[in-house]
Order: sequence, then C-alpha cells, then structure tokens
Amino acid sequence: MRITKVFQRITLLLFVMVLSAGFVWAQEKTVTGVVSTPAEGPLPGVSIVVQGTTVGTITDVSGKYSIRVPGPSAVLVYSSVGFITQTIPVGSQTAIDVSLEPDVKALSEVVVTGYSTQRKRDITGAVGVVKTEDIKTVPVGNITSQLQGRTSGITVTGDGQPGSVAKLRIRGPGSFENNNPLYIVDGIPTTDISYINPNDVETISVLKDAGAASIYGSRASAGVIVLTTKKGAKGVKVTYDMFTGFKAPGAGPTADLLTAQEYANLQWLVYKNDGTTEVHPLYGDSKNAKPTLPKWAANTDWYDVITDNAPMTNHDLTLSGGNESANFFIGLGVFQEDGIIIYTNNDKYTGRINSEFKVLNNKLKIGENFSFRYGSNRGVANLSEDSPIQMGPYRSQSIVPHVITAASAMQGTSRPFVVGEFGGTGMAPRLGNNSNAYANQVRGKDNGNYFINMIGSIYADVELMKGLNFRTTLGGTWYNGANYNFSNSTYERSENVGTPSMSEGSWYGGTWNWTNQVNWEKTFGDHKVAALAGYAANKYGIGRSLDGAVAGFFSDALDYRNLSNGQTVQDANSYVGTPVTLVSQFAKVDYSFMEKYILSATLRRDGSSVFGQDNKYGFFPAFAAGWHLGDEAFLDDVAWLDQLKIRGSWGQMGNQNAVSAENAFFLYGGDAANSFYDISGTGNSSVQGFRPTRIGNPNAKWETNETMDIGFEAQLFNNKFGIVLDWYSKQTKDLLYNPELPGTAGSASQPYVNVASMSNKGIDLELTYRDNIGKLGLNISGTFTSINNEITKIAEGFTYFDYGGSRIGAFTRNEEGQPMASFYGYKVEGLFKTAAEVTSAPTQDGAEPGFFRYANLDNTGASKGKIDPKDRTFIGNPNPDFTYGLNLGLNYANFDLNAFFYGSQGNDLFNWNKWWIDFWPSFQGQKSKDLLYNSWTTSNANATIPKASNKSNFSTNTVASSYYVEDGSFLRLKTLQLGYTLPANLLSKIWVKNLRVYVQGVNLFTLTKYSGLDPEISGDDRSHGIDSGNYPTVRQFIFGLNLSL
Amino acid sequence: MKKNKFLAIILIAFGIIASCSQDFLEVKPKGSLDEGVLATEKGINTLLIGAYSLLDGVSSQFGWEAASSNWVYGDIRGMVGNKGTDSGDQPDINPLQSFSETSENPYLNVKWRSVYEAVSRCNSAIAVTKKALEQKTITQAQADVFIQQARALRGWYHFEAWRMWEKIPYVDETTDQTKLDNKADVRDKILADLQEGTKLPNDMKQVGRFNGTVCNVLLAKAKMQMKKDYAGALANLNTAKTGTKPDGSAIGLAPTYGEVFDIVNRNGIETIYTVQYSVNDGSGAWNGGWGEVLNFPYKGGGSPGGCCGFFQATQEFVNSFRTSTAGLPLLDNSYNTQPVKSDQGLTPAAPFTPDAGNLDPRLDWTVGRRGIPYWDWGKHTGSDWVRDQTYAGPYSPKKQVYKKSQEGQYTEVGNWTSGWTANGYRMVRYADLLLLLAECQIETNDLAGARTNINLIRKRAANPAGFVMDGTAPAAKYVISEYPTTGAPFDSQANARVALRMERKLELGMEGHRWFDLNRWGITQTELTRVLTYEKTVPWGTNMYGTASVGPEDITFPIPQRQIDLSNGRLVQNR
Repeated sequence: MRITKVFQRITLLLFVMVLSAGFVWAQEKTVTGVVSTPAEGPLPGVSIVVQGTTVGTITDVSGKYSIRVPGPSAVLVYSSVGFITQTIPVGSQTAIDVSLEPDVKALSEVVVTGYSTQRKRDITGAVGVVKTEDIKTVPVGNITSQLQGRTSGITVTGDGQPGSVAKLRIRGPGSFENNNPLYIVDGIPTTDISYINPNDVETISVLKDAGAASIYGSRASAGVIVLTTKKGAKGVKVTYDMFTGFKAPGAGPTADLLTAQEYANLQWLVYKNDGTTEVHPLYGDSKNAKPTLPKWAANTDWYDVITDNAPMTNHDLTLSGGNESANFFIGLGVFQEDGIIIYTNNDKYTGRINSEFKVLNNKLKIGENFSFRYGSNRGVANLSEDSPIQMGPYRSQSIVPHVITAASAMQGTSRPFVVGEFGGTGMAPRLGNNSNAYANQVRGKDNGNYFINMIGSIYADVELMKGLNFRTTLGGTWYNGANYNFSNSTYERSENVGTPSMSEGSWYGGTWNWTNQVNWEKTFGDHKVAALAGYAANKYGIGRSLDGAVAGFFSDALDYRNLSNGQTVQDANSYVGTPVTLVSQFAKVDYSFMEKYILSATLRRDGSSVFGQDNKYGFFPAFAAGWHLGDEAFLDDVAWLDQLKIRGSWGQMGNQNAVSAENAFFLYGGDAANSFYDISGTGNSSVQGFRPTRIGNPNAKWETNETMDIGFEAQLFNNKFGIVLDWYSKQTKDLLYNPELPGTAGSASQPYVNVASMSNKGIDLELTYRDNIGKLGLNISGTFTSINNEITKIAEGFTYFDYGGSRIGAFTRNEEGQPMASFYGYKVEGLFKTAAEVTSAPTQDGAEPGFFRYANLDNTGASKGKIDPKDRTFIGNPNPDFTYGLNLGLNYANFDLNAFFYGSQGNDLFNWNKWWIDFWPSFQGQKSKDLLYNSWTTSNANATIPKASNKSNFSTNTVASSYYVEDGSFLRLKTLQLGYTLPANLLSKIWVKNLRVYVQGVNLFTLTKYSGLDPEISGDDRSHGIDSGNYPTVRQFIFGLNLSL
Repeated sequence: MKKNKFLAIILIAFGIIASCSQDFLEVKPKGSLDEGVLATEKGINTLLIGAYSLLDGVSSQFGWEAASSNWVYGDIRGMVGNKGTDSGDQPDINPLQSFSETSENPYLNVKWRSVYEAVSRCNSAIAVTKKALEQKTITQAQADVFIQQARALRGWYHFEAWRMWEKIPYVDETTDQTKLDNKADVRDKILADLQEGTKLPNDMKQVGRFNGTVCNVLLAKAKMQMKKDYAGALANLNTAKTGTKPDGSAIGLAPTYGEVFDIVNRNGIETIYTVQYSVNDGSGAWNGGWGEVLNFPYKGGGSPGGCCGFFQATQEFVNSFRTSTAGLPLLDNSYNTQPVKSDQGLTPAAPFTPDAGNLDPRLDWTVGRRGIPYWDWGKHTGSDWVRDQTYAGPYSPKKQVYKKSQEGQYTEVGNWTSGWTANGYRMVRYADLLLLLAECQIETNDLAGARTNINLIRKRAANPAGFVMDGTAPAAKYVISEYPTTGAPFDSQANARVALRMERKLELGMEGHRWFDLNRWGITQTELTRVLTYEKTVPWGTNMYGTASVGPEDITFPIPQRQIDLSNGRLVQNR
C-alpha cells in the first residue's frame, strides 16, 4: 500500500525532528527588582522574559521579581496586559526597577481565529477567548466540561459520571439535531475533543458569530471552537503537575424515602384510602391495626450501598524546548478517576509530540502535531430506568437486603437464600420488579470499554515573499475501541434472567482533512490589509463496527467469557459507515484604516456528498465592521475611558450535520428483528426478508444560519474594568428536519427536507475587574449568557412533534412559537378536596377527592365541560433564561485563592423520579416520605401530594402534568482553590524554578430549590431537563502541586 | 526561481483537489440495496417475507402495543380478560379497558403504524414485482403468485385496521400519500384484495405462507364483519373446510382441546394459519412472540415466563364456564349467580379448596387458577403467581404459556425474561372455521347445520382424554355435553345465536376475538355494560374499572390524533 509507505516516512521524519531539536547554554547571573506603575504602585503578574529565549518569570504580589540571565548582553522584556512593554538591556546591573506606563492601545493580545491569528484589536467578529489556566482549575479531565461558565455565549451541561462528555452549545441550538460545535484542533476539524489532554492546550478561541466563524462555512452553524496545542520555545523546560483527591457521594435522596416499616405503614394507608382488604403476603392481614415485617426484612439504604468515596489522580509531565531552527513539545498525561457508583471508572493515558523545523533561511516551516489517548472505562446508564441511581434509591424498597447476611431469618422467602447471596425483588411477592442495583454493579465489575484516539497533522508553511505565506496542512483523526459486557443469570429478581449472555463489539473509524491556504498581509501608510484564501478537502464518517451477542454459557467464570463459548447466537451485526466528503473554497479580507476603522468580508463555498446533484454546493458569506470609537479625538477628554470599540457583523453559516449520508437514496434492507420470518415453521430459525428502509430525498440542500451580531468592547478606569457586550440574532432557515410521515407511508426512515426554521436571540456579556490594593491582588471576571430560543416553523402542514418517551408517553413537545423541548401536559390546579367538587368540576376521567384537578383550558366544541387532550398546555421550559460564571482571584504574598461559581437561572426540570416515588401504583418500588406523611387524606384535605391509592388513571399517574415540573435554577461553587508558591530563593537551591502547592474543594455547595439530587441535568436537545436518575455532580477534595524546572 | 517553484506546487495542489472534487463528492450508501437489485424472483420473495413478518404485528419498531394476537383490543376491551399485573405497569392500557381512552393513547398510534407499515411492505413487493415483469426477470405465472400473496396480506392488514377504526384510508402501490384520506368506504377494496388471495393454490409448500384455504377464511371473516354477508361467507367457508394448510397438509379438529395450545402443535392439524414465531434465531427475541411477552404468571424464581403478570381473566369470563347438570352452558347468564370460587385475598399458605361445581373443561386450559395443575409446572399456588390480586384478581393466562420441559428449546435464552416462545399465534384455527360456519348457517337459517358444527366442537371438548388431570382424576368437576337435537336452543334463530355466541366465548376465549365478535353481532354496548356491572362487584373491580361505563362510541377506537395531525387534516376522526 502506498499510504503505508507514506506513513512510514512521516513517522521517521517526526522521530528525527524530535531528536534533533538542540539547546543552548551560557553563563548566568541573577537580576532582581520591583515593577510598578505611576498610578498604582507595585504591579504583580508582570511577565519578564530574557529576549530571544523562553527564560522568564513573573512579578509577585508586591511587584518583585528575580530572574537568572545568561550574561551582560541579555535584554529583559517587561510586559503585562494593559501596559506598554519595556525592554531593558541588563549590562552590569543586578537590580533593575521598572515603571510601566498604561497602554492606551490595549487589546494587543493575539488571538487564534479561523485559518489565521489576529490581534484582538483587529477582530470584528464575536470571539470568546478562554484562558487555559482558568479551565484547568476544574479537575474533570475533559475540556468540554471545563469550558462551563468560562466565556459568554456557551452553555455547558454535564453530569457527574466519570468520562462523560458535557453538552456544549454555542448561542443555543440552531437545529433539531446535532448542535455540537465544530472543533478545530491545530487546523484539523473534529467533533470530539474529549480525548485531548487539557494540559496540552495553548489557546482556546470560541468563534460565535458569522463574522468570526463563517470562514468554516458549512460546518460552522453551531459555532466553532479553535484550539492550538503547545509548542516548545528556546531553552529547555520541564513541568510536572499533579493532583489527587476524592469525590464524596454524600447522603443522596435517602432522607426523602421510606424505611421498611414506613413502607408497610404506607400500604396500610392505601388499604384505608381504597377500602380494600386482603391478607398481605408480607405484612399480614389488612384488618390488623399495624403491619408486621417478615423476619428477613432489611432496611437498606440503597444510595449508600451503591456509592463509595471515589479517588481520582492526575499527573502531567511535559518536556519542551528549542533553538532558532527547531522546537518541540512532549506531553505525557495520566488521569485516573473512579465514579461514586461502585465499580465505575474512567482512566486515560495521553501522549503528545509537537515539533517544528525552520529551513531555507527560516522561510519554510515544517512541523507536526500528534496526540494519542488510550482510555478504558466502565460506566453506567444515566438518565434512564436502568441507571443505578434510578434503580437503587428510587425503585428499590428498603426492606430488600442488598446482600443476605443472616440466613437464619430467611423464612417465607421464595427459595432458601443463603448468606452472601444477593437479595432481590424475587424473594417474596410485592417487592417490585426492579433489579438489585448493587448486584448489577458487582456482577458487572469485569466488563469494560477500551478505546484509542489519535489526532494529528503535518504542515508546511512557506514565506513566498514578505507578508505572503502559503500553508498546507494534512491531518486527521483515528479511533478504535472494543467493549464487552457479560450478563449473569439471576436468581433473586422477580423477573429473572434465565441464562447468562454476553455481548462484545469493536469499532474503528476516522477522518482526514487537507487544507491549502495563502495568507497575505500588507500595510500601505494608514491602510492595512490582511487576506487569506484556501481550498480544503475533507472526508469523515469512515469506519466499521462489529457487534455480537450470544447466550447460554456453561459457566459464569471470568476466564470463560468469550463469544465463542455461548450456546445460542442472539445477534451478529456489522455496520459500515457511509462517509461524507466535503470540498471547500474560502477567502477572507480584513481591511483597516488608521487602525480605527476595520472592515472584514468572508466567503466560503462548500460542496457536500450528502446532497443530490443539483444542491451539492452552498455559499456562506459574512461581513463585519469595527470602529475604535475610543481612539476618536472627541472622546479624548473622557478620562475614565481607555478603550472603546464597537463592532457588528452579518453573515451566513451552513449545516448539514443532521443529514444522513444516505439521505438522497431510496433503500431496502432487512434484519432479523424487523423483517425476517419463520416461513417454514421451524420455531428456531427465520428466513431473510426485506423492507423499505429509507425514503430518499435528492432535493435536500444546505441548512443556513443567518447571524447578526452587534457588540462593543471597552476598557475603563486605567484598564481596571473591562466589558464586552454582544447582542445577537441567529436565524436558522431551510432547517433540515426529517418530519415524521403519516403512518400510511410506512415506517422507513424519513428523509431530511429543508422545512423548519428556528430563532435564537440573546446577549453575551463579559466583565472583568482587576486591581491591586496594597499587597492584595484582585482579579474578578464574570460571564453572562442569555438565549431566547424559539421554533419558528416545523414543516408544512403540522406544527409540532413530541420527542422522547416514558412509561406514560412523551412529555416534551417541540412546537412552533415555543422554545425547543418544552414540557407539555395537563396543568394541575390542585387536588379535588371533596366529592362535591368532583361533581361540580368539568368531567375528568378517574376524578375523585385527593386526585389531581386539571385546568380546563379548552372549553369549546367536543372539549366543552370535560378535561381531554385539548386541555393540555405548555407547563415548563427546560432552557435557562441565562447562565453565568463568576471567577474570583485573589493573591497575597505567596498565597493565591481562586473561586469559581457557575449558575443557571430560569430553567424548569421535569422531576420524573416523583412518578416512581409519589404514586403507589407506579410499580411496587420505593416511595417517598411525602406520600406517607403529607399526602391527601380526609383530615389533610389541603395537601398538595395526591392521595395514596392503588388507582392508576388519568387523574393520578398516567399523564404528564405540571406536578412534576420544578424550578431548576441553581448556583454552584464549582471550585475553591487555595495555593501557596514556595519562595524562589528556597527553590533555587534545588534547581526548581517554581513550585506551587494547593488544596481545592470542588462543588462545595449548590444553591437550588430543586428537590431532586442534582439540578444540572442534560439530555438530547429535543427533550432535556428530565430527571430520570441523574448521575449527580458531587463534592471533591483535592490536593495538587505545580512544578517547573 | 524558488518562488516560482512554490507557486507551481500550490497550483498543482489546488489543481488536484479541484479536478478530483466532482468524483470525490459522489458517495454511494453502504450496506443497503436499491430497487434495481431486488427486481428478481429471489428479491421479490424477500420483500414478501418482509410483508409476512409483520403478521405478528411486532418488529423492533413496534412492540406489544401492536400485537396481532389482539389481547388488548380483542380480549381486554372485550372483557374476557383484564390488564392484569399491577395498576401502574403499562398504564396506557388502563383507559382502553375502562372505555375512556383518548385519541392520544400511544397504544393506538403504535397499532396504526404497525398495520400500515405492513401495508407498505406489501405494496413494495407489488411494485417491485411489476418492475420485474417489465424487465422480464420473472414470468407472468411467478408474478401472479407473488401478487396474490401480497394482495391477500394487504387485504388482511387493512381489515385489521378496519376492525379497529372503521374509517380508514386504503393504501395501494399507486397511492399518492399527499391526497390520501379516510372519507371513502374501503370495504370493497379490502374484499377484492382478499378475493385475489383465494386464487392461490392450497399447497404453498411452506406453512408460513397464505394459501387458498387461509384466504377463503379471511375473506369470509371480512365479509361477515364488514358487510354482514353471511351467504357470501358461507361459500368461502365451505370451500375452506375442504382445503389444506399452506404446506398442503390436512386440517381438522385436534382430538383434544388442550393440545391445540401446546407449542409442539403450533402447526398441528387444528391450525389453518399460525403466525410463525421463532426463538434463538438471532433476532434478539423480536420474532419470538414479543407481543405477548408480558402475559405470563408473576412469581420470582419459579413460574413460567417470569414476566409480567398481564392479561388475567375476568371473573365474569371464568363464571361463563359454569355448566348445568346437563353439561350445557347457562345461556341466560345466570352463571354469575353461582360464581366460580377463587382464592382472592388468601396467601398461598392459607388453606383453599377449588370450586366443586360443574365446569366446562375448557376453563382450565384457558385460565390458570389456584389448585389446578398448570401444564407441567405443578399446581397453580395462588396469590404468589399473581402480581397484585387487589388490582386484577386471582387468575393467570394459560393458552400461550410454554411447558417447563420446553424451556430453552422453544423459548428464547439469555434475555431479561424467558417468555419469548415459539408458540405462534393461532390466527385461524379449525374450531374458529366451524363456528364461523355455524354463524353463517344460523344467519341463513340452517339451524341444524349450525348445531352439528357447534356440537363437533363440544364433543371434542368433552373428550375426557383432554381434561386437565390432577394425578389420575380430573382436576375439577368437568361436566359437558352436546346440544340436544331437539328443542332449545336450536329451535329458533334467536336462541341459536345465543348458543353460538356463548360457544365462541368458551372455545376461543383469550385468543383475541371477543370485542370484534361483539361488534359484528352489534351487541357491544349492552353485553359489555352487563359484564362491567358484574365485574365492578368483585373485590378488585373498583380499583380496575373505577367509574367506567360503555358508550355507543366504544365500538371503535379513536383514530390516533398524531395521524390526524400528520395528515394535515385529510384524515378525520371517526367519532
């Protein structure tokens, strides 16, 4: 294979690059001093670098610094954001005090944007910049979760499961499906960055509007996040960072749930309320005054038995360096994390090698970035009936022992249980139908997933003439993995698994991308032009997977577990990805006049294989403008205003993510589960049959987002205050959606058609404040994100679709004029207090005192005088009004303190757990204390908890209602970290440049009115905010250190 | 020079991408087939298999809501059974059994979608057959057999929809979905499709296909149900009576009643058409009676199936098996004044003696009750086989349940329950044919002929070799006889109807027919009101039925609201 050879050569080249990067040594001396400003005195945090090297330090809180320089010829560079950089030759001095002047032309920071880097000052689009140092304070090991609250315009929702990737949305969902942003890692597009080690990341830029992102055209509509990874600089640097700690599960919901005796008491209340009598198989004759518990009764705290303190540890070791013609960066990471649910974990091992060569008189740069992750994890189902959180605390009666401890008490059980066996719902009647969540975890402890991910690129960048560069980048991603899952047979359940079974699977896949671009920059007097143009080809969705399941194992023995050893094949599947190909041309011109007036124009043309012949190509233009108003003469007198830029953009971005690669085709297929039939009556085999599997639509075309953004950026009061404010409007048109077809059209996959539309509007706000008060350094920043989402059209002829399901059907509806995923159902006005009230109220199926009284919202036509489906309404909105982050940084002497808060306001949650625990007939699982103590009775007629009754009907638990909807707003202290940097003079004796130790508490408190375990609940964009056993985010306690040599 | 070289490289690079891009953007789907590949004899046959495969109503897209055994719509709605289990499991059945369902009920939407997906599969087979004929890859004779099967299936699926909703749209291979409505009377189209199936030969070689005999019975059912065309149906039934099963083998009454429901006899002499179920066939249990998987006794670690205690008999239905001293059913419904004794409210440890009165032996093949042997699982021990007696009473279903000795062989292994079986649904069995025949005879005033056919069935039921035995003695006091050749009830058409209707209840109970039968006879509201009134008096009646009542609209189910919405208003509600 030719490709194999190419890769061999590349590998060899990379190897040589890494080894050949050399170092420079020289004689040294130490320079000390104080950096201050005329207005504020000593200035902490000033960067001091020996020019032309990476040797550097920063001033401490009292503005002091100490730096080793190579010799008298060294030149020191003093820089700090907001101040004019000074360069001072060292000469014979050993003490240099410096006074920095404020830089009225701040915003000189350089930001990585699409296919280029720009001075922040020159940017006209809405770009959020995230400090990589900030995000690393959240110890989760994946960047997506760490971005929560760090820049405005991003909404991140996650959960507490190790390794789970949080949902990240930039300026709201613009589409019904797949609103994941596009990530560009060192020039390579990808949709997953969970495997990138946060410690390797140098810069993160969030491109939010068309002005910034439409250069990525067809894939930009959900926003673009551009990451670059670290490079080596001159000299050699070694860093080691580590933290270790544990997560504490806390008490869980146990206090809200019944003990074994209370549960029996509740049964007595139900008998009383319903007027039923029987001899209860566990508690005795209902005519007895009190229930008695069987001898084997336990009082299990299910949350406690399925959780445990969970350790976590992270190590990061980097080695970097370089000289004039080459540099390298090597990073190694180990991240090991257990989940609070027993026998769950997520471990990952990452490696990175970045290197770059300059040849041909530095006119040609060639380099590579490559990273590798090996991971293994054992997780659990989340937000589902099968999650241990739902299965354990919310579905398991306390009376059931999780493990049998005293066989002598095992009288009256369905079989003779012995000590050490699992207890379960099959021990006796009326214990419910759930499985033993503890047993499930123990039995699954040897199952697992393994995966490998790689992302890398090689590039060459040549300076054709001054200001004109050509760059070519070839790269891609690769993944593969395997999983296996053995299910034991069970003996303790009411619904037992008779025979053990096993499933096993493996998969691989990848993407590649080739980009060629030309960048040109030129200044003519007051005119400055920066332009770029390029061409890219991209292929993704390449890959295959293989899955098998067999049943009937002779033994459960661990070493016996493979697919060949099963008796009966249940399933044997493979999947071949239909790849998507894209070709793109793009161009962008930025023009600025007098550094005050900036215009920018972008055009991208993309062609995609998912569309039919006539619609393959889409154009995505964008225009933006900026005006440095603060530099105008008429504002010179406004002393407190240091900087003011206003800017605006309009543009279009495309999307095709929702569309299947097969969308244009009418297809047939078949599988045993759907279309095979035992035509010969064998009883144990079926004959292949086919059915229409997909209805094609060759006419689908690009979905387009039209984005408008108006914003300003300002620096005030000697650059102490900063503000960035954006108002945006994002209108998705020709939204690709696969509307459900009428049942009469059959159930083949419906094609995506360009029918729907959606609107997102909102405000992004970022505020910063930094100051020094004596020795105290203060750094505060806040982000605010508001999104107003509205579906403006679904499809011709119908206005809504329901999404998701449950034991009582879907309760989220996506309807025109409403935000996505709104909760839909009956509005509870209260409980019927008396029989007379039932009689006088509109007719309602199942109505009786103590049950829900629904609002009669439609009283026309056939719905007059009765409660029917027409009386349903929107009962909640899971989308927050706004989310916000607040970062507080303090430093004093060698101590630093960092606190980060994140909050979400105005979102509703659907507390599905209530269905299980607040209604007696919602399976014979665990019930709430509310149901026993606070529910409706004739003597408690003003209750809000419905009557404890065995009746399951329209007026109790069979329809979605506002009873389940709660305010999900919350404010969480995400992290609180206290650090101490050891004095430099102490460290220099042991050749350590910097050593900082810290202690940290994570998620120390959450303020919320939500009654469930955790208000941060994710889910599909079409149906989210539904708490059906959410893996909670819990407290963590961490110790860590940062060391550099 | 150098610059020119670089520029040349750039231009070449751009050129390569540009010239490749047109081909580069053409990607063919992987892992699927298009129509062209399927237009052959083999291809059409696989499409036809796909159409047959929905005879059970279920696939991984449609679960038990769509089961063609109609335990929900035929029997629970018809009140020979109730939902069973506990009140909170599958709560969407609760309003269906208390006659208070709304058009939003998810069960109805799944059933609708299943039936019409099946129709679309038939239409694909027909369309591709026509294409193959055009391309001459098959002969006209081959095409005829394909199309006859596909049309018969299409007719049957439409009939299934008609029985549920009456005002239904009819879809064929030429239908324009954007113009489809449910305003026209589609009965003739359904009959024409089924009529086409009657042209099929009787020997189709494979027992899972439709043949002429099967189609004659289905056509007769449709004629009776939709048009009250008893004379027309009579001819079809008489033809069918002399026919064969689809594999060419003989049909007739099995010697004993109980054996009909044994898995090994799923394609025995009694069954004219059985919906074929297969287990351990790689489908992940989807072909193994998924539709009925909930309907097994409920007992931790001991009873068959393991899940989930649904589909329990009503007390009224059980009482119907009471026989007179002469061994005849109590046609005046007086059986409710001498109800069959049950163990309601007792723990298994408490002593209990089963009912000692006269009973039709078919009861104990139809209903599991305490103290009576339950296949080879030992005696039913009462409340520990039932999930919640206070909600649904003391009975268990039985006809579809497998024997202990058959576990693993005729049941799916390694799934969350073992209630997936190869016990295919007896869609058309010989006793049904005889009773349909008798019904047509009564309606055409051949009372003697009807009595003869009914008595054939009673005679079989009375065969003591077929009694449920407790050791060497019958498990209960089985007293059953044939109707006398003179006098009531075959002395008048009205009396004969009562006897026929009772016989269908006893013979075909819990087999998914009752509510459809009542509708055909036009007595749904009166009969079910009578049953409901009684059923509310049993200890679990209030929990189960609350304040339910049967209205005149309850002879159909409402058309799913979602389908009306999706049709852009072209479908109209049927009530």
